[in-house]
Amino acid sequence: MADTIKLFVNGVEVEVETGKNLIDAIGAVGIEIPHLCYHPALGADGNCRMCLVGIEDGRPPLVPACKTPAQAGMKVLLDAAHIKKIQRDVMELELINHPTDCPICDQAGECKLQDYYMTYGRPESRMTVPQVQKSKKLDFGCGVVHDQERCVTCGRCVRFCREITKTGELGIINRTDDARVNIFPGRPINNRYALNVVDLCPVGAMTSKDFRFKQRVWFLKKAPGICHGCAKGCNITIEHNREKYQDDIIYRFRPRLNRQVNGYFMCDAGRLSYRQENEGRLLAARLGSQIRPLEDVLAACTREIEQAGKIAILLSPNCSLEQMVAVKALAAKLQASLSGFSTGYIKEGDGDGLLIEDDKAANRAGLALLGIDCSRESFEKAVRDAQLLINFNNDLTRTYSDSELKKLLKDTKVIIAATHDDRLSAMADIAIPVATSSEYAGSLINCHNILQTFAGAVSRNHKPANIGEIAAKLGSPLQSRAEQFAELRKYLSVLKDFEADTVPAEGLKLNESEAANVTA
Amino acid sequence: MEVKILSAKFKLKNANKITVAKKHGAYATLGKLFAMKPEDVIEEVKKSGLRGRGGAGFPAGVKWGFLPKNTGKPIYLAVNSDESEPATFKDRYILVKDPHMLIEGIIICSYAIGSHETYIYIRGEYTTQVRVLQAAIDEAYAAGYLGDSVAGHDFKLNVTVHRGAGAYVCGEETALLESIEGKKGQPRSKPPFPAVAGLYGCPTIINNVQSIASLPFIIDKGADAYKVYGTEKSPGTHLFGISGHVEKPGMYELPLGLPILEVIDKVAGGVWKGRKLKGIIPGGSSTPVLLPEEAQDVTLDYESMAAHKTMFGSGGIVVLDETVDIVALVKNLIDFYHHESCGQCTPCREGLGWMLKIIKKILRREGSMDDVLLLRELCDNIEMKTVCVLSAACTMPVRSYLDKFRHEFEAYVQDASASAQVKQE
Repeated sequence: MADTIKLFVNGVEVEVETGKNLIDAIGAVGIEIPHLCYHPALGADGNCRMCLVGIEDGRPPLVPACKTPAQAGMKVLLDAAHIKKIQRDVMELELINHPTDCPICDQAGECKLQDYYMTYGRPESRMTVPQVQKSKKLDFGCGVVHDQERCVTCGRCVRFCREITKTGELGIINRTDDARVNIFPGRPINNRYALNVVDLCPVGAMTSKDFRFKQRVWFLKKAPGICHGCAKGCNITIEHNREKYQDDIIYRFRPRLNRQVNGYFMCDAGRLSYRQENEGRLLAARLGSQIRPLEDVLAACTREIEQAGKIAILLSPNCSLEQMVAVKALAAKLQASLSGFSTGYIKEGDGDGLLIEDDKAANRAGLALLGIDCSRESFEKAVRDAQLLINFNNDLTRTYSDSELKKLLKDTKVIIAATHDDRLSAMADIAIPVATSSEYAGSLINCHNILQTFAGAVSRNHKPANIGEIAAKLGSPLQSRAEQFAELRKYLSVLKDFEADTVPAEGLKLNESEAANVTA
Repeated sequence: MEVKILSAKFKLKNANKITVAKKHGAYATLGKLFAMKPEDVIEEVKKSGLRGRGGAGFPAGVKWGFLPKNTGKPIYLAVNSDESEPATFKDRYILVKDPHMLIEGIIICSYAIGSHETYIYIRGEYTTQVRVLQAAIDEAYAAGYLGDSVAGHDFKLNVTVHRGAGAYVCGEETALLESIEGKKGQPRSKPPFPAVAGLYGCPTIINNVQSIASLPFIIDKGADAYKVYGTEKSPGTHLFGISGHVEKPGMYELPLGLPILEVIDKVAGGVWKGRKLKGIIPGGSSTPVLLPEEAQDVTLDYESMAAHKTMFGSGGIVVLDETVDIVALVKNLIDFYHHESCGQCTPCREGLGWMLKIIKKILRREGSMDDVLLLRELCDNIEMKTVCVLSAACTMPVRSYLDKFRHEFEAYVQDASASAQVKQE
């Protein structure tokens, strides 16, 4: 716990952390100071003037809370009549040139202007003169579409491109009420984090081409998740909805604050990876090219396992720790070789030191922790020796060309537990549809040795099974997630006081000896 | 009434040339200056009571005292020559007529505050001024008054002229710094004040041209000689630009503290064409207007102006005769400040545009009394809610016109309702 100081808000003493501005310090104890331009990741700019608060006996007596450090003994006035009037007045001025096109605005329902209008606004418009007109649909590139009329020129997007991505594509041009956010002519946004400006925009000025007009946000169900796009493990909110007679569909991923992992942001590739959860899925179990009920297919698998002399099992580096221990236990039971070979998931040089990692696998550290061999030699030898390969969703097409793959597997029967219906599952003798990461609960270890858990968010119509369940049905002794988690504790002493559902939201940092196991 | 302290060399031919200027005493104070300790120079300026001539009237010596000691960072001097306030035309005379007085003042100030780099921020529209000033600076370098060793003393000083691109707001001292740094000219939030974190994050003193140009006299003749002029709290002389409906508009150097009506009558020849006085803008367009009856006991100094709820400002006096349409004047005024709003803070960015549209509506005789009241209310809602005082520079005078000439606004909206009635019938 950081040092605290005591100050007064509306005459009531509150204890707040030191070293913060008034918005954050007072906000942390549940008292909101309205603000549009301030964002904790971008610092204070002080242009919106919504956060003006009174300081009793202060010089000056009126200060922007975003620029004012909390100090002991400060007497902050928030509900004094003159402060409430300022909030109402500034709100009115924010709105006079605002198009108020909420019915067709994507931001409606999560818009600061709407929220503040209800809290601090006045009901009637006094605008009897024509509004300023600006551009309504500017394609800024990278899937960002800008509406200048809705913009409150808070400059969050501009500061993001300057301070976070350091690419500086955006600027505010012109002065006075003609000021507007724009790109330089012919130089669109060109960075891998562009869509964060849509989240940062407190109003509906920055919209995502991908999400525009797809859903009203109040219909979206929100569930916490972990992005599986790379080894960083950015915390996300999975926003999904099941429309009448339709499947449960994910409409967007948005970053969720985790200071020790991703902060406030995520990359565009991860953000748009939600599409893979919706599209191209393997929807039914297949024997050869024939669709069969899952039970029949599993029975066929059991027969294949019994008949096979030697079995090789392959894990995906995207599997959760629970799935990995379940499959490891299955391999031991079947006396099968187990591999996590997946060099194709690594894109050398793609990482940028910000959030994007070279390794596009979410849980390679898990494979290392469980001591699962990941070498090419042992995998290929195991496959050549085996009559049967059980592939738990490892996308071998990332590592091998089709011809290489056909050659490698020419004498081996293949059972695949797959999320997607693609070239790989088409090549398999038996294909079992399994759940993607948005559909099951599990845990991961990211590239900084932080263990994070996530819960299933989406329930698809085709009811794909968890890989852990498939492993159990094929003979793994670890039958439930509880048993799998108990097994995990043998590897991770940090888990000794936790259950799967009690791991803290910000994740658990592995202790040094465990981290050494992971990196070994 | 006129005095010749700052304007002593204005009538001389070629006083902008260093040879002529030196013959008439330019750079003569430097020997005395370098014999003094810097803190004694600051003390002398404090004693003189010299107040910042940019408009705010903050005591110059006190401002210099805000510089933190021993930060290990360079100290900058920025000379504000943006002179953009409508009705203000004083610094331009110094820049063209006697630039060496300014350079000498810069040397004095730099020595006092321990600065070795000066930026003169000059408005982009001042093309002649920038040419003459730069030529004078070049002469001063050649003559050894600027550069590695100022007048042979162990003191280094470089002066750089930075031209603005035509933004009123860049006369605001932190916007000026942003502009010098190559950024969009938008005022910074204070604190930190420039004396602590100014140009490139270093301690910076920003003074107006006329303030700096007053220094050679103060150092040469002493603070007491300077205080002979003016009042106790507003000592010294000031270059007043008198314009508008007077017989002899122009720039006049006067001691502070003279009665404003007497100055208009005796110095500027009185209201022109024998017309009656309607009002006086005392110190640039952003200062609240004075009615003739209010002006009776107003004197040209900071205290008297404040006592009459207006401001001394930049010394740009505008005389309005009885023919002036106040509503049209207010439209002109809002038009200017709206155009010059940097667009950073919500109240100023959105509010001034709204005010402009309302006053245009009234001027078209389409307004109602509600519009007049709204305009008046907006003055209160916008003022002092922003990073800088540009919005106040608009709302303070507009409020004064609305309060003091309400009947003229009412006449416009009554016309409007009458013509609306005619249309209905």
